[in-house]
Amino acid sequence: MDRIWPRRQNGNVVRLRRRKNATALIYRNLSKITTALLATGYLWMTLIPIPPLSQGVYIDENALQPAQVNTNWNWQDVHQADLYLHHLEGLRDKNATSEQRASFIRDEFAKLGLSAATQNYTFMTPSSNITGINAYAILNSPRTPGSEAIVISASWLSEVGKEPYNLRGIATVIALAGFLKNYSLWAKDIIFVIGDNYLDGIHAWLNAYHGTIPQNLDTDLLELTSGVIWNALNVDYSGHSFSHLGVFFEGLNGRLPNQDLINSLRLISHYTAGVPLVLYDHLELHDAPQNSLLTSAPEFMKRSPQLREFEHRARNVKRHVSYQARGRPSAPHGLFHRFRIDAITLYAIPADGPHGFFALGRIIESTLRTSNNLLERLHASFFFYILTTPATFMKIGTFLPSAVLVAVAMIFSGLGRWVEAGWVQESSSELQPQGKEDDGKAANATIATVATLQPTWRPRQRPVIPVITTICVTHCIGLLAFAMIDTSCFLQNQVVASWILLIALGLVPQALLTIIPSHPPETAPFSLLLQSFNLCLASTVISITSLLNFSLAATLAVTLGIPLICSHVFFRPSQTSTSHFNKPCQLAVHAAYWVLTWGWLLLPQEVEKAVWNWEVLGVWFAPFVCIVYAPLLMQAGLVGLSVMNEMLLG
Amino acid sequence: MTLCVVQATPTIPQERYHEDLTIRPLTDGKVVTAFTFTTLLGGASPRDPRDAESSAQHYTLFPLTLGQILREYSVTELHLSLNAGKWNYNSWGFPDHPSVGTGAELWAWMADGGPLSVDDRWMGLRNALAGLFCASLGSLDDRRTSSPASAFPLSSVPFPHDSTPYALRHATLPSEHVCTENLTPFLKLLPCKSRAGLARLLDPQRVFDTDWHGLGVHVRSTEAGIELRLGAQAVFDPVRRSRGKRRDWSFQSLFDRQIDVACPVASSSTIHLVVPDIRGYNLSPEPVASNDTVNVYSPTSHVPLDIAMSWPEEHIFKYPLPPPAPQTPLSVKRTLYGSSQTRGVLFVSFSNNDHSPITVGYLETLPALVTLWMHTMKVDVGGIARDDLVSDMIYHPPLLLANGHHGPSTLQTTLTIPGKSTLRLSVDVSKTFLKYTEHPPDAMRGWDLPPAVLFPVLLLLDGERTNASLAGQSIPKRIYTPTLLVDLPTPDFSMPYNVIILSCTLMTLIFGSIFNLLTRKWTIVKMHD
Repeated sequence: MDRIWPRRQNGNVVRLRRRKNATALIYRNLSKITTALLATGYLWMTLIPIPPLSQGVYIDENALQPAQVNTNWNWQDVHQADLYLHHLEGLRDKNATSEQRASFIRDEFAKLGLSAATQNYTFMTPSSNITGINAYAILNSPRTPGSEAIVISASWLSEVGKEPYNLRGIATVIALAGFLKNYSLWAKDIIFVIGDNYLDGIHAWLNAYHGTIPQNLDTDLLELTSGVIWNALNVDYSGHSFSHLGVFFEGLNGRLPNQDLINSLRLISHYTAGVPLVLYDHLELHDAPQNSLLTSAPEFMKRSPQLREFEHRARNVKRHVSYQARGRPSAPHGLFHRFRIDAITLYAIPADGPHGFFALGRIIESTLRTSNNLLERLHASFFFYILTTPATFMKIGTFLPSAVLVAVAMIFSGLGRWVEAGWVQESSSELQPQGKEDDGKAANATIATVATLQPTWRPRQRPVIPVITTICVTHCIGLLAFAMIDTSCFLQNQVVASWILLIALGLVPQALLTIIPSHPPETAPFSLLLQSFNLCLASTVISITSLLNFSLAATLAVTLGIPLICSHVFFRPSQTSTSHFNKPCQLAVHAAYWVLTWGWLLLPQEVEKAVWNWEVLGVWFAPFVCIVYAPLLMQAGLVGLSVMNEMLLG
Repeated sequence: MTLCVVQATPTIPQERYHEDLTIRPLTDGKVVTAFTFTTLLGGASPRDPRDAESSAQHYTLFPLTLGQILREYSVTELHLSLNAGKWNYNSWGFPDHPSVGTGAELWAWMADGGPLSVDDRWMGLRNALAGLFCASLGSLDDRRTSSPASAFPLSSVPFPHDSTPYALRHATLPSEHVCTENLTPFLKLLPCKSRAGLARLLDPQRVFDTDWHGLGVHVRSTEAGIELRLGAQAVFDPVRRSRGKRRDWSFQSLFDRQIDVACPVASSSTIHLVVPDIRGYNLSPEPVASNDTVNVYSPTSHVPLDIAMSWPEEHIFKYPLPPPAPQTPLSVKRTLYGSSQTRGVLFVSFSNNDHSPITVGYLETLPALVTLWMHTMKVDVGGIARDDLVSDMIYHPPLLLANGHHGPSTLQTTLTIPGKSTLRLSVDVSKTFLKYTEHPPDAMRGWDLPPAVLFPVLLLLDGERTNASLAGQSIPKRIYTPTLLVDLPTPDFSMPYNVIILSCTLMTLIFGSIFNLLTRKWTIVKMHD
């Protein structure tokens, strides 16, 4: 024992020393490390569209067997679709009411021998009531127990292209209903849904189907039901003809469908109908050179294939991020994801030709056959991905670290502030090395020796209660702001109300600053502690969000990263100049934070849309911005203001 | 005791074989066909389980393979059905053979006593039948077996002057798919196989392409002897098969065959065609007998026989619009609401299409995959809570059995549905978290829940019921609801699951070390020796 003890102590001392050294090294180089992490993170984000980070897509589920069937959709069925289209155009020209439309569609389904019904619904929102009538029909497939189902849907309206009515999409769905009924090979029930309006019809139908009717939706449970829905295809064909098929896949709150579905569609579209598949309505650059940003660039840039490729992929990623970060469904299919249904929208990109009902019908028929092959839900392929082109995608590991690196930089600098707050530098010479008195004090001595190499530090109190209270208060203010925005009188007088709210919220940090107690001299300054908490909180938010919704996390990393880390620097009056000279500069910084925090209030359409999405579809983006994003920036502004205060006070 | 066993006597029992086909063309263009092959083993009665002696079995028409099974496990009454599809009561009406639940259903009444327990004999019976019919009946084990005696009453004649207790065993397997491999052993039980008689029509290619098809084996003992009824039902859709979307049909077009040979051992062979109300059709050939509703044909006197029905004035078949009223007095809809993998709501709505109230028994047998929370049960009619319409409720929660399995839970109650109204019943359910070894290979498909059964109840007229005024009529036959698919919490056994595990582990590691750094303090403690 006697021989072992000293050795152990020695080992511990060595470990302690090593640890101390490592911590000291990190702390000394903290700003360098943070900068490096930030730079890497942001660089990574900008490099997301480069081809080496993507890889080719592949079918993971063996049962799918896409594009392996002979399709039977024929010109006779196209003729049927044309006839339906003729009737629908008549309804559109007559300005038919929802009821007339829905009963026409229901009767057409019933004439085909399907069980069909309609559903009335009303959404109560603060601004208005949204009413509509859906029509739907169920094909009870022969020989099946009817416990699984596939949905083919179309909305009355289309919001992607220029043409507002999705008449050809609806005609396709009704013609398909008549066509699909002629086959006994379906292993699942097929449900045809024609939703009223654009999104709310399908949303009301889905809620009624699953018995999850929210408070603000007035509708009854569906008359006809089938089994568990596994897959859904939404058809959007508003133009006259189409040249390419676009696929939309982003769902509510950033959920994505299983990638196998998109990959199958790509193969089917290419091999069965010879229609090229693109993402959204983004034509390839050689098909639509006028869309390029590079048109005004110098000739050598225009000719560079790498740059053109980068631009094309960057456009796709940007569109993806703009849908996913806002939690907005990119088309009606996105409403299905909440119910664990893999769904995509097939968008026929309007053009003068060469494709029409014939190609679209074959593609849908073949995709249904592929979905019909499934013995289990789609689960094999990816649920977290970024499609850079229809044929290439990024795995989660190749894009997630970019946001996480920024979050790590934030938490490092937050922890750095925490340490900084705990110690105060002293210029006294009280603490001198005591010398090596005995072996037991060796460790103490080493630490003391380390300490003497640097300026002397003394611990100080870190009063966290006011800081935590402040943070809670800012989030409550965010909640209040959201409650105000989410009222009918705000939305009715949006322009005036936005300005009032904007100015009131801009004054909040100033008001808060006056009630914050000044810290006693022996304790850590308020600004330091607040910034530390602010950074740690923001970093946690970004890291957690990155797993659920990468686009939102990346957007947060971009908007919060530098403003939060540098909040104490931006506001600090420079030492050399007088405060009077600095005033305009500080005002500008202040205004910039203010605009970054609440400036989105001045985008009336964006606000209205976000509130509508929250009220009707339950998209979390609007409350998230008000309750999480804005308060975090408000705290950063508060940090800056209190830094200024503390400097002025001395 | 041996007196009870008639087979023990050396006389060969009188055997008779009847075959019958009922055809019902429907207004929606479908054609319902129901084959019934009945073999009567005259003077025979089931073996008493307490009788250990086994006697020789001599049959001429009765299938030996089935007879041996019935004798071995001393089964008094047996009902096996293998069905595919969802019976659409609203447009097809009540089926001729009432057992139309999707998948496999087996129930047997057995006399108790004797060296082997009822459960042991039940196990033997289902394994023997699994072998005989090539169906997964072996998996109808104690996790699915229940004993709902009032829904499936004993219809046999019990042993004379003997108070033997009888026990029922009932189990369903909704995920069983019926196909050719089940039809072939079924046809082998017939005296003429499929070479002659009505069974000639049972061409697997066509029968298994119908909208609904099912096979049934029903054994019971009557006063006259043991009766074996083999039933085959199919709902054809001639409109789907025809190129011109017409509803004309003939034996040739439906079955791809005609009856060209009569079964010589059949004592009777008849075809009943239920003629539709709407006129405008041609029928050939002429029936041997007919009244307003039924035409009767005899394949023994008229071979080859190819009954054909055509609507010469109809260019293409038009589905009736608006759709015709439901064919049954009661329509049932059963759904499992909710999108989460942990809980849901079982919702059943009963619509009375008649003007007078209907009283039915409702039986729900659920495997222990889902648990019903009875305190959440709500019954309402038109939004108003009506607990007075529910009576005689019996609920058995899932029991933990000796072998570690959980038995099924059963809910049985009597419901009274007022005339021309819809009664809605809802119960919250929670879904079980399975051990990962209990998941099937296709874990992401979900689990099938057996159909609920509505059964006729005997209405007591002596005023015993509190609300006797409400109790109107009951339904004539059992009604089966469609099956349900339930999603249980399933781990994703594939790549993303690993990714989540890995990233969670990484997060934990990072959190752990940071938490350590923040909370732990390393100091040197001086040790005194």
